[in-house]
Amino acid sequence: MPAGTEEQRRKAFATYVMPEIEVLLRVARTLVPRPADAEDLVQDTLVRAFRAIDSFDGRHPRAWLLTIMRNAQINRTRRRRPELLDDPDGTLERMRDAEHDHGSPEAVVVGRLFEGIVMDALDVLPGRFRRVVELVDIDGLSYAEAAEVVGVPVGTVMSRLHRARARIRDRLTAAGLAPRGGPG
Amino acid sequence: MRKWFGRWRRGGEASCAEVAQVLQSYLDGRVDDLTARRVRRHLEHCRRCGLEAETYEAIKAALARRSHQVDTDALQRLRAFAQRLGEQGPAGTSTPMS
Repeated sequence: MPAGTEEQRRKAFATYVMPEIEVLLRVARTLVPRPADAEDLVQDTLVRAFRAIDSFDGRHPRAWLLTIMRNAQINRTRRRRPELLDDPDGTLERMRDAEHDHGSPEAVVVGRLFEGIVMDALDVLPGRFRRVVELVDIDGLSYAEAAEVVGVPVGTVMSRLHRARARIRDRLTAAGLAPRGGPG
Repeated sequence: MRKWFGRWRRGGEASCAEVAQVLQSYLDGRVDDLTARRVRRHLEHCRRCGLEAETYEAIKAALARRSHQVDTDALQRLRAFAQRLGEQGPAGTSTPMS
């Protein structure tokens, strides 16, 4: 887009940026833990997008904005120190039985246990693995969009995502809520 | 890898290990139609791989339930901020930027 008039810039901003604000807020909530910081990050992204709108070619606005957000976020210091945890042993059959009886008290307990272990496993993943799970499986971004946010190739996103889920699965196995050993 | 892929394309019987290679991509809808058909067929027969697939589906479902509820107040503030930004430029927004 050539350097335009104020009117053209305003129109481009409304067309390309405004519809993506909700997605930006969702992703920002993944990138920074405090809601207020996430809102600041989106504001920062919006200002940067406004300043760069003249040079935006109009293609893939979400990917463009996510890249801007990544750059905006790079200088923000943020570190989480996950704690390790141990999981108790258990049996697959318990999970299977509970699956067939959704309403029973045991099914409710097993369901909560399963979900709790998934979340605990997510929390203890190394940051680069946890990030892609959050972006793809929680925020619903495509592999390509997640790659824009993280700043790595799509293949790397896929590889990290698969390894991260495998680690979550291993935690479930340790808790007896998933079959032991993969196929093969 | 190339050898394995060749066998796969020719229609050889997939082993559990071969399904394991593509299972997550399959569940994410990231494999071609032929591969998807072969995996689907294998999962119907193989209890072990079927359970593996169910486990990954359950993990994905649990994660999806964790999706952040969008803070509607924050969203409204940001839309108002963007509106001012679009109309008046950065000078029109009072919030200091980091």
